Amino acid sequence: MNDPRFTHVGPLVVACLRITDLRPEVDPLTGAVARDAQGNGLSAADAAALELSLRIAGVWSGRVVALAVGPPAIDPVLRDVAALGVTVLRVSPETVDPDRGYAAELADDEQRLARTIVASLVPYGPPDLIVCGDRSTDRGTGALPAFLAHQLGAVQALGLVALTPDDTVTGGGRALIAERRLDAGWRERLGVPLPAVCSVEGAGVRLRRASLGGALTAAAAPVPVNGISPADRPEREEAIPAVRIGPTRVFEPRARVLPAPESTDPRVRLLALTGALVAHDPPTVIGPVGPSEAADELMAFLVRHGYLDPTDPEQAGTSGKGTGR
Amino acid sequence: MAEPTMADAPGPESAEFDAVVVGAGPAGSAAALALARAGRSVVMVERGPFPGSKNVYGGVVYGRVLDAIIPNWWEDVPVERWVVRRSTMMMTESQSLSIDYRTGAWGTAPYNGMTTVRSRFDTWLAAKATEAGARLLTSTVATGLLRDGDGRVVGVRTDRDHAELRSRVVVACDGVNSFLAKEAGLLPQSEASHYTLGVKEVLSLPREVIDERFGVQGHEGVDIEILGCTRGIPGGGFLYTNTDTVSVGVVASLPHLAEARIRPEELIADLKEHPSIAPYLRGSSLREYAAHLIPEGGYDTMPPLATDGMMLAGDSAAMTLAAGMWLEGVNFAIASGYAAGQAVDRAVASGDCTASGLASYRADLERQFVLVDHKRLRKAPALVLSDRVQQRYPGLLCDLAEGMFTVVNPAPKPGGLRVTRNAAAKHGVKLRELAADTLRGLRIFG
Ligand SMILES: Cc1cc2nc3c(=O)[nH]c(=O)nc-3n(C[C@H](O)[C@H](O)[C@H](O)COP(=O)(O)OP(=O)(O)OC[C@H]3O[C@@H](n4cnc5c(N)ncnc54)[C@H](O)[C@@H]3O)c2cc1C
Repeated sequence: MNDPRFTHVGPLVVACLRITDLRPEVDPLTGAVARDAQGNGLSAADAAALELSLRIAGVWSGRVVALAVGPPAIDPVLRDVAALGVTVLRVSPETVDPDRGYAAELADDEQRLARTIVASLVPYGPPDLIVCGDRSTDRGTGALPAFLAHQLGAVQALGLVALTPDDTVTGGGRALIAERRLDAGWRERLGVPLPAVCSVEGAGVRLRRASLGGALTAAAAPVPVNGISPADRPEREEAIPAVRIGPTRVFEPRARVLPAPESTDPRVRLLALTGALVAHDPPTVIGPVGPSEAADELMAFLVRHGYLDPTDPEQAGTSGKGTGR
Repeated sequence: MAEPTMADAPGPESAEFDAVVVGAGPAGSAAALALARAGRSVVMVERGPFPGSKNVYGGVVYGRVLDAIIPNWWEDVPVERWVVRRSTMMMTESQSLSIDYRTGAWGTAPYNGMTTVRSRFDTWLAAKATEAGARLLTSTVATGLLRDGDGRVVGVRTDRDHAELRSRVVVACDGVNSFLAKEAGLLPQSEASHYTLGVKEVLSLPREVIDERFGVQGHEGVDIEILGCTRGIPGGGFLYTNTDTVSVGVVASLPHLAEARIRPEELIADLKEHPSIAPYLRGSSLREYAAHLIPEGGYDTMPPLATDGMMLAGDSAAMTLAAGMWLEGVNFAIASGYAAGQAVDRAVASGDCTASGLASYRADLERQFVLVDHKRLRKAPALVLSDRVQQRYPGLLCDLAEGMFTVVNPAPKPGGLRVTRNAAAKHGVKLRELAADTLRGLRIFG
């Protein structure tokens, strides 16, 4: 194999990007997200991750692979990234259903995603550094870098505002200096050994612009896709059971039957029906209790107040089962 | 043939393209499509992050021009609604008179007009060009022309590292007020009276509400063109239905707007409050506001279409047809862009890319609707934007309708001539002028 993407010697820096519609529309009633491929782009944090990857690889004479998980609609953005002279890789997602419920998206199994990403990088060799944005504009949980670090057995430094090679390290070794915000304008400075996974804030750096040559070259080239079959995936450990998500729907509280007010005076009837003058339940303090009892209390509260229907077996899940409502 | 990879795609340093097309609007994409199909190397330079991202128009594209270029285009075009109802409305502050035409024929293939969103339509058309082999460079501005020792245009300079793109021909499809056309000396000092300013709002409404209010269903849509809604400033208005938005806007003569010291958004606000328009828009929310110049001068204001190594297509060559009943630019841009691409192909094949080698472009357009319509309607802009048509006739016609339809019992019904005379007198129009303008209109549009 003499493809320079795979044979280049020197450290491998991976920019792990989440390319998505930066201005999706959210239905205020259902929470459904309408995304438009034309809004696809890099968030400020991802742009910073890419720029820092390029800077660090430049100092180390290393190479940069920019990786994003997503459908073909993200290819134009990856081409813009490729125009910077970066090797790009699109990993096709396992779930391509764009219409799954938003709760299902929220509960995406990021551990599995991390395994897919690490497996996709195998042909490029073990990464010395993975840089991610610290947050996505699109419901990411921010947990992916930690899962990646776990998969790779790498150290992690998350939520950074600066990341530079540590030039005090001698003798061919490499390390990084990272900075993170603290309260009251303070910063903490971390020494980060390699291999490492870092996430950075979208602050302080601006993504460079591709040259005309780079842009032209990238405009005509296909984006390599690495679809990893589940069989090829290295299993470092047994997967933890993922949250199970049922379909979501608009909240419609069950009607509560109230006894008809006795008075014939409209004003008194109205007061009685609205409960305006009735003393309300004081707040209930429960606990300290264990998570399972706390969940049971919450479910009971929701049933009591008409938010859940106890006769619906799908809704009447108890703690630990995760009903997704 | 093996697919090219990022590593082996040719760089631009050594490359000279057959053509550089500036602008990936309808004209640019059509030009690139024609060139790529002819096997020519072509790159489109677009300043926006994607085609259509910078583009503004009212909302209706007439697709007949696509029949010959993209067979069965309606099967995958990103349509919002097919226009089945077209209304021309004349209004005063409190009156309106409409001619409303509806036909089911426009709601089935091959259709007539469609509302479509430019960011989607332009992306779609540009994709046809890239699928045929054109390259698209987005987020890149062509900042100037490159010339050889003889002054011939040989490429463009870009804002990426000030790097250059060399080509046999530059096709400037950079839209109205083209800087490249000006730099080439093709577009003389801009004359403000040749331009109008178009401003529009896109308003959100639920799809079912649009269906109900405009009397349409499914993919059916409505196009309403309006006269008399610009406080006497020469221009007009429009209201178009998209899937779950409507576009409402006005077009106003640039010098008159400046002279009147009226802000364009005030004109849209007036229109939205008009009793004939407000019920359509009730409860809507603003999603987008945009403004753009329109070259409305027509045939007599068109620049030369080619010089040595360079040609103009679409709005850069003032090809929008704005003739009262019609405001069509996209179809003219597509037709002229495609013809420009074909002309470049012929010029490259003959080895003559000078102005005379590119002259077949104009000859081609003269055989097509592009210059035939423009030539025939060359006097239309002056008539349509004239004082009487803009300021007096909408009121006159509304009063005429009011006079005919108001029941004046116990007095007997007035005769048509008397109503006409009264309405004309009220609006300061002599019957002689009315007859002269009618004749003039018949000569232009007849
Ligand atoms: C308010 C309004 C309403 C309209 N309504 C209609 C209508 O309903 N129907 C209709 O058919 N027409 C309508 N038109 C006219 C229509 O929009 C134009 O005629 C049409 O867009 C012209 O296409 P074009 O490709 O020539 O130019 P444009 O669509 O303007 O495209 C020019 C392209 O060039 C790019 N560009 C410009 N300069 C540079 C540069 N230096 N470097 C790189 N890229 C550059 C721009 O970003 C743009 O993408 C309307 C216009 C307006 C303003």
